Amino acid sequence: MLIDLFTVFREEADANGIVFYYSGILSQNVIITMSDSLKQKLQIQDEKGARSRKVFSTFIEMIQNALHYSPGAPDSDDTKEGSIIVGKKEDKYFIICANFIQKQHETRIREKIDPILEMSADEIRQAYRTQLKNDQHSDDTISKGAGLGFLTLARDSIEPIQYAIRDAIGYENELSCFYLKATI
Amino acid sequence: MTDIYIPATSDTPEINFKFSSNTLSMSGEAYPENGVEFFRPILRQLQSHLTSLNGDAIEFNFQLTYFNSVSTKIFFSMFELLNEYAKAHPNCVLLNWHHDEDDDTILELGQDIQEDFTWIDFNAVVLA
Repeated sequence: MLIDLFTVFREEADANGIVFYYSGILSQNVIITMSDSLKQKLQIQDEKGARSRKVFSTFIEMIQNALHYSPGAPDSDDTKEGSIIVGKKEDKYFIICANFIQKQHETRIREKIDPILEMSADEIRQAYRTQLKNDQHSDDTISKGAGLGFLTLARDSIEPIQYAIRDAIGYENELSCFYLKATI
Repeated sequence: MTDIYIPATSDTPEINFKFSSNTLSMSGEAYPENGVEFFRPILRQLQSHLTSLNGDAIEFNFQLTYFNSVSTKIFFSMFELLNEYAKAHPNCVLLNWHHDEDDDTILELGQDIQEDFTWIDFNAVVLA
């Protein structure tokens, strides 16, 4: 029975153009190994250099974002978890990453992404340049990164980035699930 | 100042800063888990080396093929240091900016650096 279920899972993934899928524990070592695998897969698909590089860059920004900013998984000893999928549909790559966030950070994340969703490609490029030159990491004490991550994703995505924040089933009071999607 | 040589790993670049000859090179990929922690000591040494120089010519070979957003920001501060040195000592910093022909991301970053750090002599090198 479980073999049947897994067969369906695999066949559906293939039929839907899934290039890569991972769900589980996140660490820098896991990320390095996944990077190798994804690079080889893109090479086999004979993807042109420019696009392949953008898929790879988007993958790294998203998965490192999940590693750095997600709280420890429920009932774990601060172990980070996340899921990421790379697929190709109608000749466009999509990358979707999912990870836990603390419920209390929901507003902060929305305030960071919502303005980017309203920007034109030129405005994204301008905001990116401004952020690159900005020595302070704004007034955001939580962000460990350069504040450039979401802007990098938005800059490389050929369609506006999308996100969703949903209840983490069983942990509704403390955690939510954050989904982020880009198209290359 | 002792030269710095750090071999490349999967997620960190090769750093070859020959302070003795003022030839500084970086190549490979950069997406370490903690970019600030990795690059900070290197930038500190570069900064202190620059203060010890007086108009010596510096050649910087930037040959990275991928770097994440955190590393991008760090490199920007690094070029800011070199630009300040070149401002005090005009025509003393040459930046060889290597990029693949179809790599518009690295090409555009090079253009930004050229616009913002005008004291650095910028030389784009297209990789075959």
